[in-house]
Amino acid sequence: MMWRLVKNELIKISGKRRSFIGFIVIGILMPLILWGFKVGGSQVYREITEQLQENFIVVGSVFNGFLATYIVMNFLWVHIPFLITLVAGDIVAGEGSAGTFRIYLTRPVSRGKILLSKLLATYIYTAALIIFFAIMSLGLGSLWLGTGDLIVFHKGILILPSEIAWMRFALSFIFSIGVMLVVASLCFMFSTMVNNGIGPIIGAMAVIFVGLAVSNLPLDFFEKIRPYFFTTYIDIWKEAFYDPIPWREIGKSILILVIYTAGFLGVSFAVFSRKDILT
Amino acid sequence: MSEVILRIENLTKSFKDRKVVDSLNLEVTEGEVFGFLGPNGAGKSTTIRLILSLIKPDSGDVKIFGKWVTKHRNGSLQNVGALIEEAAFYKNLTARRNLQILVNLGGGTNRRIDEVLEIVRLIDRADDKVKTYSHGMKQRLGIAQALLHNPKLMILDEPTSGLDPHGIKEVRELIKSMSDDGITVFLSSHLLHEVEQSCSTMAIINEGRLVVSGKVKDLLKQTDLFTTEIQAQPIEEAVSVIRQLDFVKIVVVSEESIKVSVSKDDLPNLTTVLVEKGIKVSAIVPRSSLEDFFLSLTVRDDG
Ligand SMILES: Nc1ncnc2c1ncn2[C@@H]1O[C@H](COP(=O)(O)OP(=O)(O)OP(=O)(O)O)[C@@H](O)[C@H]1O
Ligand SMILES: [Mg+2]
Repeated sequence: MMWRLVKNELIKISGKRRSFIGFIVIGILMPLILWGFKVGGSQVYREITEQLQENFIVVGSVFNGFLATYIVMNFLWVHIPFLITLVAGDIVAGEGSAGTFRIYLTRPVSRGKILLSKLLATYIYTAALIIFFAIMSLGLGSLWLGTGDLIVFHKGILILPSEIAWMRFALSFIFSIGVMLVVASLCFMFSTMVNNGIGPIIGAMAVIFVGLAVSNLPLDFFEKIRPYFFTTYIDIWKEAFYDPIPWREIGKSILILVIYTAGFLGVSFAVFSRKDILT
Repeated sequence: MSEVILRIENLTKSFKDRKVVDSLNLEVTEGEVFGFLGPNGAGKSTTIRLILSLIKPDSGDVKIFGKWVTKHRNGSLQNVGALIEEAAFYKNLTARRNLQILVNLGGGTNRRIDEVLEIVRLIDRADDKVKTYSHGMKQRLGIAQALLHNPKLMILDEPTSGLDPHGIKEVRELIKSMSDDGITVFLSSHLLHEVEQSCSTMAIINEGRLVVSGKVKDLLKQTDLFTTEIQAQPIEEAVSVIRQLDFVKIVVVSEESIKVSVSKDDLPNLTTVLVEKGIKVSAIVPRSSLEDFFLSLTVRDDG
């Protein structure tokens, strides 16, 4: 039963143009970026890595698919939430604005089940988008630019041998999916509250931008309130590249993110089960 | 054949501070086509949304097939089909896909999809996206959606609104055939003649309150419910003549016509008197619109 409801939601998602924007953007942008690396590389990174190669023994090309993926992740991860909110924000509110709830919610299936199916579909979409991102960055990048040791910058320079780097990327993408599920849950919550497909996107992005500012700007006042913002904990995907991996910190962050997500979902279900369908 | 399958009990709903449905009580009996009549804004759609548990009542409840909607929502809605206001769809999907989505929700079968598309004559367009449909086609597809799971109670909220005469006729015939198939129909409308044509029983609501209910035949006989329009010259004289008659009641006077409430039996007497007094009667329009009826209600309240 639940699978059929989820399938319904996936059919609805596939019927909307905005659902493809994320895939199209990543599908076009990623090859372009990789191509840029291939032909020119990054001026800054070339200078640094040239110095490095004088002092360290680095196996393979420093300027490989791993490094490209790592850099791309660092630059793009704040933009990915937007692509996810396009779908997460619309999944409930979109039906409100189209008026389709007035038939969909008159069948003898409880609202809780309907909302759960929408949530699962949102999560599936989110995971699919991140996996696509991984394929287009790490997959395409390692095929095209080759693999080798990964050089990352964390409290100095860290060289991760290529066998370890694979592992770290896998871990990092798993964390990324987790983090994006938190973002999706936030936007999903806004989506249950209104009947238009744009509001939840703006709402979620506003929260994320303000949250990231508080979490990252070095101001005394921000530092005081920082621990209460979930955005403070959402860069765990980066920590997969630290050495050693700070599992205690990561565990704490995951716990806090899970609590926040439970809160977002609790509000979502409470709002939706009481909601008057007036459209 | 006389079982009550839909019972509305003391149903009340307010938006902000305004009562939109006010202590409403209704009974719909199995097998009938029930007309739910009221002017724009009377609370018809709100009542229907309450019946279908799309919105929660402030107080009161609805019992469908013996189950209370607020307590046993899923059980009570099992055998109910509905078209509420304008039909709405996933526009980028085909008609068939839209119906499949409802089948996945646990109503009907894939074979039934073809059947209902056949019934509403959309089988040839089944694989076109709904966004390419005309308004009339959408309304028909809405009826197909409602028929998909073989409901025993069909709730239709102004299904003919926005349709041309041909479309209206088609919907009317669909209602007739549903009724012939033993489906109980709850038809909301703001058009008296629509209810008159399709329904056996009706209830009239205004400002969320029940005004009157009963057999359509009986209600239409009830003289004071509906007004007769008399176009006559000179109008002032006609008014003063009518004022002296105790079997006629003036409801409203305009420049060219007088609206009165008069029984069918007394209508010939009225025309005779007018003609005898030398007044030129150019037209008598019996039993005019529902709007006039509500006008007469408010007039009565004042007097
Ligand atoms: N979401 C809402 N918020 C506030 N008031 C509302 C809302 N929906 C409806 N109303 C009010 O409730 C009253 C009844 O509306 P409803 O749609 O039930 O009437 P109706 O009988 O279906 O009218 P119509 O024939 O125009 O469809 C109206 O006065 C309307 O303004
Ligand atoms: Mg209405």
